[in-house]
Amino acid sequence: MDDMTKTASPTDGIVVGGLAVPIDAVTHDRLEQMVDYIMKYCLWQFNSRGWDRKKQNAGIIPRTAQLLCGEEIARETPGDRYYWVEAVSLAEAYRERLPWLADMTREEIKTLLQRLHERIDYLTVDGSLNEELTVPHY
Amino acid sequence: MPYHEFDCSTCIPERKKHAVVKGPGEDLTSCLPLGYLNTIPGSISERGCAYCGAKHVIGTPMKDVIHISHGPVGCTYDTWQTKRYISDNNNFQLKYTFATDVKEKHVVFGAEGMLKQNILEAFKAFPDIKRMTIYQTCATALIGDDIDAVAAEVKEELPDVDIFVCNSPGFAGPSQSGGHHKINIAWVNNKVGTFEPEITSDFVINYVGEYNIQGDQEVMLDFFKRMGIQVLSTFTGNGTYDGLRSMHRAHLNVLECARSAEYICDELRVRYGIPRMDIDGFGFEPLSISLRKVGRFFGIEDRAIKIIEEETAKWRPQLDWYKERLRGKKVCLWPGGSKLWHWAHVIQEEMGVEVVSVYTKFGHQGDMEKGVSRCGEGALAIDDPNELEGLEALAKLKPDIIFTGKRPGEVAKKVRVPYLNAHAYHNGPWKGYEGWVRFARDIYNGIYSPIHQLSALDISKDEIPTGRGFLTARMLSDSSLSDDIRNSQVLKPYDGKFDPIAGLRAKTYPDFERLARTASAAATAAE
Repeated sequence: MDDMTKTASPTDGIVVGGLAVPIDAVTHDRLEQMVDYIMKYCLWQFNSRGWDRKKQNAGIIPRTAQLLCGEEIARETPGDRYYWVEAVSLAEAYRERLPWLADMTREEIKTLLQRLHERIDYLTVDGSLNEELTVPHY
Repeated sequence: MPYHEFDCSTCIPERKKHAVVKGPGEDLTSCLPLGYLNTIPGSISERGCAYCGAKHVIGTPMKDVIHISHGPVGCTYDTWQTKRYISDNNNFQLKYTFATDVKEKHVVFGAEGMLKQNILEAFKAFPDIKRMTIYQTCATALIGDDIDAVAAEVKEELPDVDIFVCNSPGFAGPSQSGGHHKINIAWVNNKVGTFEPEITSDFVINYVGEYNIQGDQEVMLDFFKRMGIQVLSTFTGNGTYDGLRSMHRAHLNVLECARSAEYICDELRVRYGIPRMDIDGFGFEPLSISLRKVGRFFGIEDRAIKIIEEETAKWRPQLDWYKERLRGKKVCLWPGGSKLWHWAHVIQEEMGVEVVSVYTKFGHQGDMEKGVSRCGEGALAIDDPNELEGLEALAKLKPDIIFTGKRPGEVAKKVRVPYLNAHAYHNGPWKGYEGWVRFARDIYNGIYSPIHQLSALDISKDEIPTGRGFLTARMLSDSSLSDDIRNSQVLKPYDGKFDPIAGLRAKTYPDFERLARTASAAATAAE
């Protein structure tokens, strides 16, 4: 079991929604590893409009958390099936590259992935410098 | 914000926000240049126009179509045969180009009559071709020629033909990217849903944003066919006009170049509920992830894994031969749009080079977000550079090679920096596993070519060493390698064919049992 809050020293935290959220150094490092993989190997987080990016992030990251926790995911519609595919790819990559995930509880994984979701939303939408994100049409 | 101001552009202060250096700890909230804005007066841009972006990039790769420009002949000439989007019907769309050849008198008196005559003559000259695209240009847009009305008249007279009109004159956007947008939306509005295709598989995709540069599309089609997937249409390289009218019947849009074709995928998602899946066709690992994703969507991931294992086993030793010899070489990745992010990370991972700069001529900030994310610290990211900025960057960064278009590429050659053509390739295809090795081979040949030893000499003042020969590429590349690597029995240079595409065109594929047929047979047996 890996108790992040007890063993780690505090850092300046991460910026979420314009606010600096204090987190410990271990969590910070783990989040950075997860973000780095998404940025280098994934493309779904960069759809052209802000609302679309939020939708993509919300469709894929929570599903990834579910898969990492061993939960089943519904995939009846083509859209659901697409999100499932991206989530499976991400979960597989995380399991392969981030061995510390195996020592975490479901609750810890869910909490970490929630922070990842917030962080990706911030990097790609809320804190983004991309001036085209608010264009009303595709 | 870590903006970078070029010395040569201090007289154009607006340029400062178009270049950034990715420093330690920088992310997208602090490091992103401006993009997709009108070119700043005084900056000699290398961009193309919106007409070029619609016709040259997206429209013309369609292979069974007469592509006609309504405008001065120069517009057509400048978009003809400058990109190697080949096709399997003897390259009809590359061999023939059509223009109405508008002159001054037509600007005064109108050119609609001449356009109609040209259309009829073109169909008569090529009676086997029944499809046409017509492209508006600046001149005919400004005089108000109604191309749609002329096309409607012709369709009434020739009921077996179909015509698509693209209203994207050169001034219709800041760059060629404006033309990409216009033709995407025009096609989905006017043509998608007007043709019903024959469905031959349970797994049907549109392959979007792929232009068959030197056979890239055919390499990817080979993978999809080996998986039993029907590629209903390719938007647009080696694609057919009617296939692209059928896009509404696919189960999945597999998107390669989001810069040029995400619009149509997004519209197909909204209008027809077809998901958009972005993929990377370049590089062993990104391509493998992509094939597995497509396979997984249809429940046939095992077929993708089989291909990945076969291809990787065959080509990895050859890729690694080049990686050992390219390690640490500095690269400027200066393509048009999407390749800056397709390649930025994977060429570092899989070829060992270091990307010291990325630039885009016509990309949007979204492209730079992907590019900046994927390149390393210290990289210089430039939007819409002018020629002087390019030269200044080369002098400062001292790259071993650059990947760019032929205009800036020829400029780089003059300052003795080798270049590879990132748009049309040198010895492609570069997609797929074998293609990625061919790319590595071209980089190797570019960097280590013996010509640099000779071209560096100035015959007007340097002493010419006539008493000795020059060093070969192998002598140069292997001089610093360990004996283990140099004499490896596993690693070997590329040994593929000069033309890997001809074999693909002659290939046959397994006939996978369709689920629909299986279900039907089971029901019959149960009766």
